[in-house]
Amino acid sequence: MDHDDQELVASILRSMPPPAVRGDFVARVNARIDETAGWLGLADFRLWTLRLAPAAAALVLVAVLWSGRASSAGGRAAAPAASSSAATFSPASPADWQKDVTGNDMLDAALSPPGGSHVR
Amino acid sequence: MDPDRDLVTAAAAGSRGAFDELVRRHQAAILTLTRVLTRGHADADDLAQDVFVRAWRSLRAFRGDSTFRTWLHRVAINVVRTHQAKQGRARRLFATPAEDSGERAFDPPDTAERVDAALPRREIIDRALAALPDELRVAVTLRDLQGLDYKEIAALLDVPIGTIESRIFRARQRLRPLLESLWTTTTRNS
Repeated sequence: MDHDDQELVASILRSMPPPAVRGDFVARVNARIDETAGWLGLADFRLWTLRLAPAAAALVLVAVLWSGRASSAGGRAAAPAASSSAATFSPASPADWQKDVTGNDMLDAALSPPGGSHVR
Repeated sequence: MDPDRDLVTAAAAGSRGAFDELVRRHQAAILTLTRVLTRGHADADDLAQDVFVRAWRSLRAFRGDSTFRTWLHRVAINVVRTHQAKQGRARRLFATPAEDSGERAFDPPDTAERVDAALPRREIIDRALAALPDELRVAVTLRDLQGLDYKEIAALLDVPIGTIESRIFRARQRLRPLLESLWTTTTRNS
């Protein structure tokens, strides 16, 4: 098969009449775009990402502000607890374990009933 | 320079009017492609619509590396291949081996058989193309029916340009006897 034959086959193919396109082809494409846009919009994670971005940003802001406030309040609350524990010793208080406690105090606390009266 | 560039830009910005015009410009080419790729399957028209629906949804992702027409052909090939893969899976699941020949509108002629000269021109070409193996049919369709150049086809199918040239050459070789009835009239007219 020579070059001319190749060209002739190509020209026959090029002469193929275009298919008959239905008159409502564009309308049907549009209808399908509208149809899929409805449910596809719900499933489109990009749309959801965009829509939820402000809410997510607000939540992050609230979380940051809340944690900042909680940590400063926690710092303020810890100090009085430590100072008050100096007056009354209780082994259940973690602040007590951080200061000097003598062995007698420990024994005393262990032997004392929950009501508070010491057995000597 | 892409002749569709302005319309594509407008459509990507949300203009349905611009997209409608793009559909009108390319509907015949895409319908031809889906018909040939599916060997004239009844779904070809629906698939052509799917191509444009998919194109509309992906238009913002189109970066203009190729012309819109070439990009649209890529979308069409993907849509048809996805459809065929789904059909293949369904057929393997539900059909008996005897039914596994697939539903085709064009009956490909036997290799020894010549296409009937009394058939209309389009049908003769459709049937001749349907007789080709997939890879030859796709390559020659993109070149001779759709008018894409070798480089575009190679990029579209992701194969070397030499492979495309070879496929198109072999496709025309095989088509030659099948198009004999048109061959004589074309030779007479030219």
